[in-house]
Amino acid sequence: MNINDLEAKAYWLRQELFEMVMRQKKGHIPSCYSCTEIMIALYYGGIAKVTAGQPDDPKRDRIIVSKGHAAMVQYPILADLDFYPKSELERFTEPGGLLGMYADFRIPGIEGISGSLGHGVGMGAGFAMAARQDKQDYRTFVILGDGECYEGSIWESAMFAAHRKLDNLIAIIDRNQLCILGKTEELLELGDMEEKWRSFGWEAVTIDGHSFDELMPAFDRIGKTGGKPLAIIANTVKGKGISFMEGRSEWHNRMPSDEQIAQARSELGMEG
Amino acid sequence: MDAQLPRLMRDAVIDTICAAARKDKDILFISADLGAAALDALREDLPDQFIHAGISEQNMVDLASGLALSGKKVFLYAMAPFITARCYEQVKCVIASMNLPVTIIAVGVGLGYDHATLTHFTPEDIACMRALNGIEVLTPGDAEAAEEIANVAIADSDFRYIRLDRQGQAPLYNGSFKAVYDQGFGHIAEGKQVAIVACGALLQKAMAARDALAEQGVEAGVIDLFRVKPINGAGLTKLLESYDAVLTVEEQLLEGGMGSAVAEALVDNSVLKPMKRLGMQDGFAVVNGDRDTLHDLYGIDTPQIINAALKLAGKV
Repeated sequence: MNINDLEAKAYWLRQELFEMVMRQKKGHIPSCYSCTEIMIALYYGGIAKVTAGQPDDPKRDRIIVSKGHAAMVQYPILADLDFYPKSELERFTEPGGLLGMYADFRIPGIEGISGSLGHGVGMGAGFAMAARQDKQDYRTFVILGDGECYEGSIWESAMFAAHRKLDNLIAIIDRNQLCILGKTEELLELGDMEEKWRSFGWEAVTIDGHSFDELMPAFDRIGKTGGKPLAIIANTVKGKGISFMEGRSEWHNRMPSDEQIAQARSELGMEG
Repeated sequence: MDAQLPRLMRDAVIDTICAAARKDKDILFISADLGAAALDALREDLPDQFIHAGISEQNMVDLASGLALSGKKVFLYAMAPFITARCYEQVKCVIASMNLPVTIIAVGVGLGYDHATLTHFTPEDIACMRALNGIEVLTPGDAEAAEEIANVAIADSDFRYIRLDRQGQAPLYNGSFKAVYDQGFGHIAEGKQVAIVACGALLQKAMAARDALAEQGVEAGVIDLFRVKPINGAGLTKLLESYDAVLTVEEQLLEGGMGSAVAEALVDNSVLKPMKRLGMQDGFAVVNGDRDTLHDLYGIDTPQIINAALKLAGKV
């Protein structure tokens, strides 16, 4: 896909997510919207190797949304890849439905359970080590929240992955600068994330996480890091695409009113 | 190693895993900086199958999940306090929740690290680990049992927690452990009046108590409850019904420990028996001393087992 197509696909994903969440009034829209372009780049930009209809392809790249409250960002994509029927999106969180609030590893295309923060880098390092041992060339992509990086386990695993030279492991840090109670830099400063990851032995780069022009070249570094795992710090806006949610921590899991829903649909390019 | 001393359980387990790993490259052994004499061969001969996770138990468990999801048979190895409570959330979230075939091998359960005291004790590991969804909790009483449990863990990969004593324990089974494995407990000494139920290192004290009780006219038996979860409740209850009373003894706080599991089994099978649980209690004191000193302090040493059994038998 060219960049125009990717941008259109990002619109599509935001629309699908909005409808999925509004049907049940359950979910985390802003956390999904900050990593929307990241996911579109991975799945539709030719970055991650995934084959429609083949969720268990042993050669597939592994994608873990470690910030589990936003793993639902994958649901419309995985349906689009024919990993399960699109009708499952309409049964999101419903009894008997496949798709829950948090991603379960039994869902085709979901590599591991998430919801509790801080597990993705270690789990991803496990996938990356297995690939190395089995002489497979699949890569593992882990999408982390920046607030998630408060978890110490992230840094235990970061150190480990660098020592093991797992250059088939890529972490994308969704740096939206918000957690539930407010701004990360005011609540507990995360500081220079690029420098932190680099100091742990990773190749690190900071980009605009909503710009395909910046995202795509960042992924070009995979395999050219001199053996280092790659951390992409993606500066993002939580709630990107719905003006009244953008950069506002209180919308983490709040549901909009009917008027706000109409406004959001309009801003997302949908019929009112 | 001094030939006089019993073989260490950890060496028995690691030798067994190492032998299997030579034939199966999918067997991976991960240590959080704990060694063993037997581990050196594995590290030297199979460097691709030995992983040092760092003193980073959280990383070790998360890593294990990714490896297990990729088809690897993963064995995690660390001191008991740090591979249980320290990374309990990881075990719960990424191993138990996905029921992954990961074997957790803990060394020094209970009061094994006697002089290290509180930070190294695990007075709660049975309670917390048996509360995990789908786990099997095993406590070998001697090296033979440890080796056989390792064989099972290799042949039938599953989510298991294996509790190894730090010190070598005198042989209990003499070749008979394999025959009782499926049963989940071993009736290692028969009796009539008081059934003493224990596991791990305290089996030695239970056996010593049994001998002393015999001299005082009380026929006590000893049951090695090496599998506390899933407990063979029906089988255990059936055996306990043949006794007049039940005495459990453990290096655990009483809440949720092995004695609790025995009581649960009896209740769930609608059998009431005179019963006493010996174990550690809230506010237990901390002193410098060896394991025997601690057993005495916490009321779980041989004399206290004898005394409790005599009470249950109506002799005092």
